[in-house]
Amino acid sequence: MKRVYVTGIGILTPLGKNLNENRVALQLGKCGITNLELFKTRYANKMPFGEVKIDNKTLQQELKANEPSVTRTTLLALYAFNQAINDAKLSQQDLSNSETALIGATTIGGMCLTDELYKDANKTSKGSPYLSSYDFGSINMYLQQRYQIGGIVNTINTACSSSANAIMYGARLIKNGLAKRVIVGGTDALAKFSINGFNSLMILSPNICQPFDSNRSGLNLGEGAAFLVLEDEHLSEKKNKYAELTGYCNTNDAFHPSSLSENGEGPYLAMQGALKLAGISSTKIDFINTHGTGTENNDEVESRAMLRLFGEVPSFSSTKSNIGHTLGASGAIEAVYSILNLVHQEIYPSLGFATPIESTKLIPTLSYIKKDVSHVLSNSFGFGGNCTSLLFSKV
Amino acid sequence: MLYIHHTSCISAQNTFSDNTFSIINPIVENKLIVIEPTTNQIPNAVLRRMGKAVRMGINTALAIINKEQNIKGIIIGTANGGMEDCIKFLNQIIDYDEGTLTPTNFVQSTANNIPSQISLLTSNNNYNITHVHRGLAFENAVIDAMMLINEHPLNNYLLGGVDEISIYNFKISLLDGLYKKEKVTINTLYQLKTPGSIAGEGAAMFLVNGKKQNALATLRAIHTIHTSDKKWVESNLLKFLSSHLVDGEKLDLFLSGENGDCRLNKYTKICEKIANTTSVRYKHLTGEFPTVSALSLWFACNFIETQKVPNNMVKSGLIPTKINTILIYNNYNGNQHSFMLVNR
Repeated sequence: MKRVYVTGIGILTPLGKNLNENRVALQLGKCGITNLELFKTRYANKMPFGEVKIDNKTLQQELKANEPSVTRTTLLALYAFNQAINDAKLSQQDLSNSETALIGATTIGGMCLTDELYKDANKTSKGSPYLSSYDFGSINMYLQQRYQIGGIVNTINTACSSSANAIMYGARLIKNGLAKRVIVGGTDALAKFSINGFNSLMILSPNICQPFDSNRSGLNLGEGAAFLVLEDEHLSEKKNKYAELTGYCNTNDAFHPSSLSENGEGPYLAMQGALKLAGISSTKIDFINTHGTGTENNDEVESRAMLRLFGEVPSFSSTKSNIGHTLGASGAIEAVYSILNLVHQEIYPSLGFATPIESTKLIPTLSYIKKDVSHVLSNSFGFGGNCTSLLFSKV
Repeated sequence: MLYIHHTSCISAQNTFSDNTFSIINPIVENKLIVIEPTTNQIPNAVLRRMGKAVRMGINTALAIINKEQNIKGIIIGTANGGMEDCIKFLNQIIDYDEGTLTPTNFVQSTANNIPSQISLLTSNNNYNITHVHRGLAFENAVIDAMMLINEHPLNNYLLGGVDEISIYNFKISLLDGLYKKEKVTINTLYQLKTPGSIAGEGAAMFLVNGKKQNALATLRAIHTIHTSDKKWVESNLLKFLSSHLVDGEKLDLFLSGENGDCRLNKYTKICEKIANTTSVRYKHLTGEFPTVSALSLWFACNFIETQKVPNNMVKSGLIPTKINTILIYNNYNGNQHSFMLVNR
């Protein structure tokens, strides 16, 4: 089987606009969840959000993306995508090669334009410039056209595990010989659609979220994007290799459309499958970047699944209390954070935790520590029971 | 390469219960609306909450799962998922100015709801994914299934494509120029020299694996491209055929996604010329939608299984006495193209 390496990273989150800014903020235990400054919603003063504090106009100018049809979701993606391809030193020729693929993920896509979509869908306008921008495919269609990506191009939406699945699909394209290089990632912008959706399910916290705390009161929504360049052994030979993607597994919890089963069968099987594919025993896992949303259901079930699989649970944390839940971007952003753990042999504090959950008693890592880190598991679970775990290893 | 063992299809024609196409359902107001099964196996408590895309997806999936329960992955392509629920929820957001809303439409609207509900109803913990890449959502599902079979040759997988017409996405796509403005009938769809096509919807599912024995058909190869350059389509097709057809092997049918849009005829024409065989088309029966290529694969399987092609589907040439090899070509809106090579 071919091996898959990460040779380029691009990231834009409420913590920072590049890899280093994100690392420094994680080290310092900074929280990017604040009152809204840019996005307009009735919930603006009722709850905090992980907002990227760069407005669309600035993004458009900086990225030279002035097409009237471009959405914030696409701008965030383009920002991270540009960094990733520059980091991996990909030329235009590399990008348009038929063996270079692009696999992106999004949960909300162009529906971040909730008001415009309302007008177009109900025909109260003559048609906005966004008619072909609302769907999920619009983001990667834009990136493909802008960079003339020559290989397979795809968009995946499995709710909150979307970009973990994009990474997995990209790795499998390489392993199956359908690409030699794949640019993988995810993006989502704050949207009235997601805010009102999660609010209707009563899982948004009025405060900054508290993953794995017994008094947790829900999640915070965030926005951002991350892209990674995956390359096979041959293409990555003389390049800086951040990490190797050694394992991955996609399962379904098959329990409920919007909550996880008591025993966490889906999460358990996803983590177990990733270990099995990598041929690594559970004792070798040094760290877990959990899904850890801060909801009543997720954190308890994820804890139980970790206890079932590991017995003694390795160090773990949730970065949802740093940036909020970035939905379709979260799997890719957290993959980048897991890679930072490996590259710098360090673990960042999990914020917002005080009291363990009674039934599971697990305590996340609470301070910055230097540590030998060889294998990191990154969990992403979504509505519809879609569970995916990725396993990154030190090179 | 993958082998297709069972198929099911809900379309605007009688494809679910009776595959003879004895009655052709007409285009109404430039739409071809599906004929949903009158009885189905979805529990009523769940059914009443489901949008049409989810119902179609589950009914076609269950028709296959009834024949084969041991399924190791559910791989679905859908560009829009539950569009109707999605916009119903969106309308509530605006109409009630972000007030207190009920979550039903929101939960139903997520694009991954179709494979998720299939997993839920059949207690399937295996691989589960939703490809949403517009006009190549189904093709990416096919590529995924081919990789899974390469990785696990003995496993069975459920592969499918689903999309619905909602009144809302019809309006958006109409404004975007995807549909014709003048009234269209089955007889005029391909005659009008105007832009746009007609709206369609449907679902097709396939039980696929790596086992040749008793297979209905083989999906030998697939290729996807993003371009609006017809020369690039041409050179890609030539390369696709030369790398997958064996010496002297001829195509028995060319099944094209011709949809009546005058702007897109140039692509079909060039592919038709290269295929150089009997040309067959189907969008007067299904309408146009991003995952309609799932239905084209269903038609190809049907032609191979029955060794028949309905006369109304033939564009040019004679129906061959033996139908062994079919080239399927589709393009969505002129910038997403796919080729599939199907065999007996």
